[in-house]
Amino acid sequence: MSAADSAREAAAALERCDALGLNATLHWSAELLDAQAAAVDRRAAAGEVLPLAGVPVAIKDNIVTADAPTTCASRILEGYTSPYEATAVTRLRDAGALIAAKTNLDEFAMGSSTEHSAFGRVQHPLDAARVPGGSSGGSAALVAAGAVPAALGSETGGSVRQPASFCGVVGVKPGYGRVSRYGLVAFGSSLDCVSVFGRTVEDAGRVLRAISGPDPLDSTSLAAPPITPGPAPADLRGVRIGLPREYFPADLDPAIRTALDRVAGAVRALGGTVEDVSLPHTRYAVPTYYIIAPAEASANLARFDGVRYGLRRIGPEGDVRSLYRATRGEGFGPEVRRRVLVGTYVLSAGYYDAYYRKAQRVRSLIAHDFAEVFASGVDLLLTPTTPTTAFRAGERTEDPVAMYLADIFVSAVNLAGLPAISIPAGRSAGLPIGAQLIAPAMGDERMIEVAAALERMVSAVAEVR
Amino acid sequence: MTIGRDEVLHAARLAEIAVNEAELETLVAQVGRIVAYVEQLGEVTDDADASGFVAGPGEVRLREDEVRPAALLHPVADMAPEFSQGLFLVPRRGVMEEE
Repeated sequence: MSAADSAREAAAALERCDALGLNATLHWSAELLDAQAAAVDRRAAAGEVLPLAGVPVAIKDNIVTADAPTTCASRILEGYTSPYEATAVTRLRDAGALIAAKTNLDEFAMGSSTEHSAFGRVQHPLDAARVPGGSSGGSAALVAAGAVPAALGSETGGSVRQPASFCGVVGVKPGYGRVSRYGLVAFGSSLDCVSVFGRTVEDAGRVLRAISGPDPLDSTSLAAPPITPGPAPADLRGVRIGLPREYFPADLDPAIRTALDRVAGAVRALGGTVEDVSLPHTRYAVPTYYIIAPAEASANLARFDGVRYGLRRIGPEGDVRSLYRATRGEGFGPEVRRRVLVGTYVLSAGYYDAYYRKAQRVRSLIAHDFAEVFASGVDLLLTPTTPTTAFRAGERTEDPVAMYLADIFVSAVNLAGLPAISIPAGRSAGLPIGAQLIAPAMGDERMIEVAAALERMVSAVAEVR
Repeated sequence: MTIGRDEVLHAARLAEIAVNEAELETLVAQVGRIVAYVEQLGEVTDDADASGFVAGPGEVRLREDEVRPAALLHPVADMAPEFSQGLFLVPRRGVMEEE
């Protein structure tokens, strides 16, 4: 298939998604797709080897592109178009991919349901009354709806794996530093990772291979080669999988427990071993995250001040401080304002030690838990990705802590900077369940290979009880 | 720590975010709920000397401190709300508050 054909198919699929009211896209155009495809077809005709020739990839709208706006789903950036492109986007274009659409998200990637977008909530592709997860809900929904085979999202505290689980697609968070953050609008800089959705593990792996590797434009990118997963192994002999008991609480949804039992059974059937392990500080991951991430956000979002780009409002006093306050008060939505206020509070004089410094220490303990388990010889950890299937829209918007708990099984990985993947592992009442594999640092390739082996064994759509 | 109006308004001033009276009550309740939730970290016993963990490379590589041209695909003047003669324009500075 030519890139031109691929572009036409992608445009038709995006039109269908928009007509269905998914609200997953913020910006796309058939003309842009056609222009990209024509260039890719010319390069291919000239003999250039393009590993992603004509593959349409959707991009979360907090990753900058120079030919379409980047809003971060915020009024404060309405109409903004970046004067440069993210490294991940540049590398996708270099590999021949077509940037299909910019996708809807929770404002500035702060949320777990994609209900906190200034441009309206994203619908779950299987049930319009439910959420697709978040914050990368638009990217997850487009992949789940079949509009694109892969999409970029971003993770600060599980924002790709959680929606991947809710929508029944694959979501891969690489180890911190394996993919450049250049051009990813900063939220929590010590946590942020460009991450990937795919219809299959192989699709996600191909995209990850194209975008990963060191980047001189990101001083925190690792001096390591691109993530290059091999094919799915025929068996898992010699592979030790740990089941952290803290991720299987007594009140875990029985269908999710059954789905994870099936995945563990597949590991054994392929010759691997499964054993119980413990990560004792797991319960502190969400509160630790909700100190560190808002603290970093409060600093990172200081740049949105109405001076250099984006929205400008001038308050009643008419001076520059009233410009800052009115612009930020009006431009940021409720969840962003809450988090910036919490972040400012925990960093303020008199509270820094009690909150921020304490959270940094607990973060060390959480990372140490993982390091100890992997040092004991366990190769990967297997957990549920989420404690529930996709919840109803509006169910958690009034209680921020209830919303935050949707990330209870995913946020520790970000605190520790580890790679992790969510793969579909069955359905409960028609809604997808995700299984998560967590790897040690630099274990991205092996994790993806094992996930591909399990993907073959575990039905993504079988109903479990 | 109980969060009240004063704490939220103080944080809002530091963060340069206007908060109107109509939303203040809800904001106080929600910020208070979040802060009460994260306070459970107080129960963790940790080594007083434990350092904070940061993922990524052990040593951040710094670029040479030199001026390089920015490869911008369109000029900053196109993005700025007000821009003139190479400068971003803002209203008068006003009187700085003591904080």
